[in-house]
Amino acid sequence: MSENLLQIKNISVTFKTRHGVLKAIDDLSLNVKKGEILGLVGESGAGKSMTGAAVLGLIDPPGRLSSGQIWYKGQRIDQAPETIRGHEISMIFQDPLVSLNPLRRIGDQLVETILTHMPITKAEAVDRARKGLEEVGIDPERINAYPHTFSGGMRQRVVIALALAPEPALIIADEPTTALDVSVQAQILDLLKQLCRERGTSIILVTHDMGVIAETTDRVGVLYAGRLAEIGETRDVLTNPKHPYTKGLVASTPRIDASSFDKTLYQISGSMPKLDAMPNGCAFHPRCEFALDKCRIDRPSIIADRAACWLLDGEETLL
Amino acid sequence: MLIIILRRLGQSILVLFLVALISFLIFRFVGNPVDNLMGQEATLLQRAALEEALGLNDPLYKQYFNFVWRAIHFDFGNSYRGALPVAELIASRLPATLELALTSAIFALVFGVITGIYTAIKRGGFIANLILSTSLIGVSLPTFLIGVLLIWLFAVELRWLPSFGRGEVVTLGWWTTGFLTISGLKSLILPSITLGLYQLTLIMRLTRSEMLEVLRQDYVRFAKALGLSNKQVHFNHALPNTLVPVITIAGLQLGSIVAFAIITESVFQWPGVGLLFINAVYFVDIPVMSAYLLLVGVLFVFINLLVDLLYLAIDPRLRDSQLNGER
Repeated sequence: MSENLLQIKNISVTFKTRHGVLKAIDDLSLNVKKGEILGLVGESGAGKSMTGAAVLGLIDPPGRLSSGQIWYKGQRIDQAPETIRGHEISMIFQDPLVSLNPLRRIGDQLVETILTHMPITKAEAVDRARKGLEEVGIDPERINAYPHTFSGGMRQRVVIALALAPEPALIIADEPTTALDVSVQAQILDLLKQLCRERGTSIILVTHDMGVIAETTDRVGVLYAGRLAEIGETRDVLTNPKHPYTKGLVASTPRIDASSFDKTLYQISGSMPKLDAMPNGCAFHPRCEFALDKCRIDRPSIIADRAACWLLDGEETLL
Repeated sequence: MLIIILRRLGQSILVLFLVALISFLIFRFVGNPVDNLMGQEATLLQRAALEEALGLNDPLYKQYFNFVWRAIHFDFGNSYRGALPVAELIASRLPATLELALTSAIFALVFGVITGIYTAIKRGGFIANLILSTSLIGVSLPTFLIGVLLIWLFAVELRWLPSFGRGEVVTLGWWTTGFLTISGLKSLILPSITLGLYQLTLIMRLTRSEMLEVLRQDYVRFAKALGLSNKQVHFNHALPNTLVPVITIAGLQLGSIVAFAIITESVFQWPGVGLLFINAVYFVDIPVMSAYLLLVGVLFVFINLLVDLLYLAIDPRLRDSQLNGER
């Protein structure tokens, strides 16, 4: 369980624009262990999806991985990411309505993917495709149907079947349930979780939904303005957040219980800084009620393996 | 599927009736056909007799249905010049035009799609940019100028290719073809390029912009994330989605290739219906003109029908929505 499957070491993703070079991800490091589900949470534009895209080398120009290294199973992959796509690391996108090719039968897409990665015959691939559909709860008889004949939730099941077909060791799920009805979200997450647990497949689950993080993940990384703010066991992070931003996130998550009806929800004042107006020091300090003088000048790195916050400095023993 | 085809066919027939109406009205109202047919020395009695014989005294709707009825039987009357039946005249000229149009359409489609894909995939590359800027010539030069330039270079200076005519042709039944002789094929090259160059650049630019659009779609990113090779992603996933709009435009362009053939046929003295039409206009040969109009109308409608059916073959969503609309 403790073996590192994926190591992201100090990566930065930059975009060249007319306003200069913008850093969408700034010196980010994290590890994914074998078999674990790691959540990445943060606001829109915090760099969650970009981190996933960076691992697979799918950052669209003009963006690019400008520094840092990505290691997978002891091999450096950031220079030739296409060699691990599919059979080692695969990805699930946010909107199932647009992630399947509308002109091709789902069976053809499955068989194509399987044949690309496995030295088997077409008939065997069709067999596998049918089995794959069955596992995600789709009638294998529909193997020749086109994507538009499925509902959103069903299409995401097909997408999961496709992502699992080449038997990857890691799946990056980029907000896989955001575009779906609430009632379907839980089903899809359970399905994904169950299938990956059976296979020992790790997941990086990108989401902005703290509820999803709480229910699904083993560990969670909190991203803010392209930087890692906090990382740790999900239970610890959610019940005892160390970074003021995480505290704010947890406090502003809606709860449905009797006591919450007449309370207003906590809000973090202000908004995340734009990439071209990043403050000095800690990116969060303009919104932080505990900010010290040091926070305005020096950027904190992750302290005590937990949070990038100067408040933890010297408190290692307390953790 | 059959129901859709039948319904499209019904619509096409309706359009053809309208085209026939216009073609008929030209025949009836552009000058008096009796004047054209009899000349100045005819007596009033002779004129009246001819009017009666041509059915010009019948009510308009009856004349129209007569016209349509005869058109269905390929009877368009006689040409004013030479008094040959128009249908025979057109039939003898049609193979030349169709072979020219087909060759240049294939030339435009094949090279247009290939360069379009290339310039999209290698976006910003040196060769891609070169192709793009060269293509501006195709868009901006008028057809006759391209034709004359090609003649000057390949026929006059280099003497590689003939500058006019169809070369030797082989007769197969009522069809004459230039595809089977060397000189026939050589004669096809310059006119086809002239006729197809504009279409080629149009198709190329369309293919490129559609392909760039499609490459941004999530299903392309997903296909990449699944580890499919660039070739698979580009040709199995991106290309089919690119082709739907390209086919529409290419189809419509095929119609205008036949129409534009008039200019190219004049430049190369190509013995097709376009040249026939130009001469007919020159001599106010109304039956030939109206038959030509009808012919072009039929071609356009037929091509549109074909394009619609191709759509249905490519896009399953369209197929289903058409069938559901039917219920």
